[in-house]
Amino acid sequence: MSGVENESRLLIIDDEDVVLDSCTQILEGGPYRLATAKDGEMGLRLVQEIQPDLVFVDLKMPGLSGFEVLERIQVADPSIVTVVITGYATVSSAVDAMKRGAYDFLPKPFTPDEFRLITQRGLEKRKLVLETMALRREKALLQEHFAAIVSHELKSPLGSVQQNLFALSQELAGSLTEYQSARLERMKSSIDVLLKLIHTWLRAYSADLEGIQQTFGPLAVGDVIAKAIEIVQPHAVRKDVEIRPTIEGALPSVSGDEGTLVEALVNLLGNAVKFSRLGGLVNVAASKDGPKVVITVADQGVGIAREDLPFVLGGFHVGRPGPEAERGSGLGLAITRRIVEAHRGSISARSELGKGSTFTIHLPALSPNANGRASPETELARDSQKEASHEST
Amino acid sequence: MSPRKRLLVIDDDPDFVDGIKSILVGADFDVDVAYNPKTGLQALQAKSYDLLLLDIMMGRGAEGVMIARKIRKDPKLRELPVLIITGIREQIAFLFPGGPMHPHFVPVDELVEKPVEPKLLLERVSALLQAAEARKAEAARG
Repeated sequence: MSGVENESRLLIIDDEDVVLDSCTQILEGGPYRLATAKDGEMGLRLVQEIQPDLVFVDLKMPGLSGFEVLERIQVADPSIVTVVITGYATVSSAVDAMKRGAYDFLPKPFTPDEFRLITQRGLEKRKLVLETMALRREKALLQEHFAAIVSHELKSPLGSVQQNLFALSQELAGSLTEYQSARLERMKSSIDVLLKLIHTWLRAYSADLEGIQQTFGPLAVGDVIAKAIEIVQPHAVRKDVEIRPTIEGALPSVSGDEGTLVEALVNLLGNAVKFSRLGGLVNVAASKDGPKVVITVADQGVGIAREDLPFVLGGFHVGRPGPEAERGSGLGLAITRRIVEAHRGSISARSELGKGSTFTIHLPALSPNANGRASPETELARDSQKEASHEST
Repeated sequence: MSPRKRLLVIDDDPDFVDGIKSILVGADFDVDVAYNPKTGLQALQAKSYDLLLLDIMMGRGAEGVMIARKIRKDPKLRELPVLIITGIREQIAFLFPGGPMHPHFVPVDELVEKPVEPKLLLERVSALLQAAEARKAEAARG
């Protein structure tokens, strides 16, 4: 039985007996289970029945045309690899077939070696297709469960440790030496860092960023920037970095979720401060550019190397350390990008090593009389219906 | 002086419970503990409490929500203040996709995240207890 499992399943659909016979002969004794069909109808039945890995289809057959058979195989199972056999070896019909999803073509007449080679290549392709599908499924599964796994396996026990440290430092207040208290404090702050890191991972992987669109309302960009500056300010003060906002007057509102938009700006401002030199300047500006509101965050810090620049917004990219060996989790900018994109905006980065970096966010501006619901809502409405339908009880 | 307030903690993580119980006991509360929804509900039926501290993610999912719903349906327990303590807001977002970050499971709840600093915990507990007292006084007058 086990041998059967490893056999590749091949199907040849051709109206000429001589082709079917010679193909059968060529592959005889190999690790194949070969089926043949004399026309498209029968071929499609066999596709359902044996679920082949590789199908050869003659383009010119009476009844169902080869093209139609190809298309129906694609619909039935797009992972099946198809190769067309073409009697009239015109490039155009082969190209046509490949446009419709065929992997390769085999011009008649062909030698046994040609047939063996193309069979081998087709089966390799099939293997890759199946592997890719398996990996995609695995990735989707991981992504889906990652947040839950991390939160339960890491965050809960760490949270409990932290809770007990909180309790202990209260219970022991007064009876610890200064050195002992200092160590206790260090433990608390280390665990705090770990918890925040896990929180950041969860943010990057959780699906809830799409959900924010349901609570979009009109936001004044100036307010969002002010709130973000307020959060980053203590860090800036410690590094003697000045954050200088320039908000254009009469700026239109944007449609968005304040919490996450502030988070996006905090990430950018936090980075700008982190990678600034002592006593540096961070400029944050907002202006109107046609139908968009443009927010820029520019620092004069260490900058990003040209080869790193394309990756900084991608996720898990940890750049060169800042002036005091600062490093990020590599996720802040990826989260920022996802937040901006959830707001139907875009973000880009410019940088020069040693001179500083500028991040630019474009957000669609609300027309003055709009009430928070921007116009391109059809897609959104569908999404929210989908969300609502799987709400758990 | 009002008599000591009696609190119940329902949470399936004994380590975490130790960590908040000691803070609450240190602040002179009477604290009972249940490590699963079943004994938690039994405790609520057997004794009267002034406040419930409730974990959401227990057992095979959000069993805390189930407890909160039962409490709201029970005329004896309906007025019991509930402080929800949960691992993370994200988990709630998973359970209620697209819903607000702070879903009000029960009318009088408050939500804090784990781990919770002693000061914040005690503030929230006293605030809920005071609000409950005020409601009771109001009801007595009316």
